[in-house]
Amino acid sequence: MDEDVLTTLKILIIGESGVGKSSLLLRFTDDTFDPELAATIGVDFKVKTISVDGNKAKLAIWDTAGQERFRTLTPSYYRGAQGVILVYDVTRRDTFVKLDNWLNELETYCTRNDIVNMLVGNKIDKENREVDRNEGLKFARKHSMLFIEASAKTCDGVQCAFEELVEKIIQTPGLWESETQNKGVKLSHREEGHGAGACSGYCSVL
Amino acid sequence: MATGDRRSPRLPQVTEPAAQGEPHVPTGRELTEANRFAYAALCGISLSQLFPEPEQSSFCTEFVASLVKWLELSEAVLPTMTAFASGLGGEGADMFAQTLSKDPVLKGDPSLITQDLLSFFLRDGCYDARARVLVCHLSSLLQVPLQELELLEDTFLESLKDTGEEESETAEASRKKKENRRKWKRYLLIGLATVGGGTVIGVTGGLAAPLVAAGAATIIGSAGAAALGSAAGIAIMTSLFGAAGAGLTGYKMKKRVGAIEEFTFLPLTEGRQLHITIAITGWLASGKYRTFSAPWAALAHSREQYCLAWEAKYLMELGNALETILSGLANVVAQEALKYTVLSGIVAALTWPASLLSVANVIDNPWGVCLHRSAEVGKHLAHILLSRQQGRRPVTLIGFSLGARVIYFCLQEMAQEKDCQGIVEDVVLLGAPVEGEARHWEPFRKVVSGRIVNGYCRGDWLLSFVYRTSSVQLRVAGLQPVQLQDRRMENVDLTSMVSGHLDYAKQMDDILKAVGVRTRPGWGEKGLLLAPGSLPSAAATSASRTSHQDGKSQGPEAGDTPSDPSQAPAPEGLHQSDRDSLPAAASPCICSHGVESNPLGCPDCTQETQGPCPGLH
Repeated sequence: MDEDVLTTLKILIIGESGVGKSSLLLRFTDDTFDPELAATIGVDFKVKTISVDGNKAKLAIWDTAGQERFRTLTPSYYRGAQGVILVYDVTRRDTFVKLDNWLNELETYCTRNDIVNMLVGNKIDKENREVDRNEGLKFARKHSMLFIEASAKTCDGVQCAFEELVEKIIQTPGLWESETQNKGVKLSHREEGHGAGACSGYCSVL
Repeated sequence: MATGDRRSPRLPQVTEPAAQGEPHVPTGRELTEANRFAYAALCGISLSQLFPEPEQSSFCTEFVASLVKWLELSEAVLPTMTAFASGLGGEGADMFAQTLSKDPVLKGDPSLITQDLLSFFLRDGCYDARARVLVCHLSSLLQVPLQELELLEDTFLESLKDTGEEESETAEASRKKKENRRKWKRYLLIGLATVGGGTVIGVTGGLAAPLVAAGAATIIGSAGAAALGSAAGIAIMTSLFGAAGAGLTGYKMKKRVGAIEEFTFLPLTEGRQLHITIAITGWLASGKYRTFSAPWAALAHSREQYCLAWEAKYLMELGNALETILSGLANVVAQEALKYTVLSGIVAALTWPASLLSVANVIDNPWGVCLHRSAEVGKHLAHILLSRQQGRRPVTLIGFSLGARVIYFCLQEMAQEKDCQGIVEDVVLLGAPVEGEARHWEPFRKVVSGRIVNGYCRGDWLLSFVYRTSSVQLRVAGLQPVQLQDRRMENVDLTSMVSGHLDYAKQMDDILKAVGVRTRPGWGEKGLLLAPGSLPSAAATSASRTSHQDGKSQGPEAGDTPSDPSQAPAPEGLHQSDRDSLPAAASPCICSHGVESNPLGCPDCTQETQGPCPGLH
């Protein structure tokens, strides 16, 4: 089973308190939704294997606590992450405004610069929307992030968010190739260049 | 028993009000929630780095679960902690350490964490060797000096011991102390069970020495008090130090076990500590080294040290034979030549000089007898350790020559038992006449929690000579590094300080320093391999060290092996000049073996000067 897995990716979920980070993760990994989910302490951790374009990737997802009192711990998690999911609540403008702070932190603590970021506007099932989809899209473009709107409650866009992120990471071989080295498989530099466009093409090499 | 009334006058220094009055919460619980999380996470990550073996995983998960409870963290963090303990998310360990040491409760004193962890471990009276390794590792991450940890251990011990001594005085009045040791312990156990924990807090609270005031208060405070006060305190005491109270010194071999004729523990030092050291001598000689304890004069690894007296008759025979061989080969050139023959690895049965082979019968018999007996003794030692005669506290084993062989067989025997983990902290094998193939050492990873040190000497011709018939391939641990890929394994090349097998006893002081075992004059030299910068500087300069901390980070072992013979002459030559200059500088009456000057001259030194060559004993 494990031999099929192309790579293990470290994904980080960050964002203000109460935007639904844990709910998104819970929906993605267990396909459940709990409206009364307690605040995360420190960090939560889940593993899920997904298959994107016929490639299996094992995701180690670190769901950070949004609460201010755990903010001191967040820098510990950035190291070695290949993908970051930045979440805001479309019904709370303040969570959108604070995205800049999160991006700053991301830049400060991330060890690599080719990390794939994704912006997720959560809770689109709610009526009282305060942040327009276009605003989110604009922000994401400005900071070259992937963007999607989702709802952990209705399951809208959740799967898609993770899949797209993983797809993008796999298309950036420099990001995860170091992981494969541990398993004794190493792609030569030339092969990587060819494979970058068509991911299934070089995955068969493995 | 009105314990409280009796004790209060005896402890006038009960001045620390915080220690007495309201119950104290362990420091760990006073931290912010984020830092308690970081604390637990840091422990989990450290555990996974220190004990990645699958057989240790249950220890790791149990530990993490009870630590979460101890810190009163929400159950919700358990899966994450288990993930940390299984080796995930280790990247952020230093960040956790940083944030943790900045907690306002600590007031810039990270040793409070060490202390909290210590009281967490000791709460049920079992000081697991793995626990000590973890505490050491965490202390180094938080940059707490090791002395501080020892101090904390002592404080803890004191707070327990005081309860005991008080009682022993009353018992002494009527009967002899030694006889009653066991009795009053039991008496106490029953007696104290009826007294509330509060009394004991009142007593031990006075032990809050200025330096560790907060520490002691916490140790005996609140939850600590619930655990340590009253009967539990004594239970812990007995558990930690051996149920019989007498511990190792009280151990008497009930019957002749197998082929073993002599087996006793001799105390090397007075004192008690939460970890003990057992030193094992490899042979006995005439003169200074005729006793088992003689080579260990400088050893100060723990304040409670024993040396194992075993088969003196045979070891004496062996020592004499070794000396005969040396004096028989009076020719300095021959010895020198032999050393280089061994060093360059061209030794074969045929190359041994005829003069040596002619005296071979002198050595072969006692050597063979001792080889066999050391294995038996090792197995016996294993069962003593497994039955916890020493109490539930970590043991460090140090031995040279056949003493190292005793350790080897002790570990081998222990590895076959189920509950062998967490007893032995470190082992130091010096010039060990045992198999040096890594696969034979593999099972030791299960037994030893801390370091496995193999001190070897490439030019030890005597060892390779006595081993010439036993093992053709000459894969002897005492002659070369053991290529075990584990963070525990540390190979220390002692070639520069040991020129012959007999040097292991004579140069023990320097050797111990080189392998990172604390010796009498210096303190705080022992460090964990994982802790950066904690290695003794002496080792770095005087011996070339090949440590296999991590299979991945280290290059393939092929890099080490072939370079050995080629490197050999270089450090040797360098050292030779060192040695030549050293005795010249020192005054003649101070020998290199002992600190005290002996007007008659140290017997071994005199022998040296008469013998082959001053630089070459």
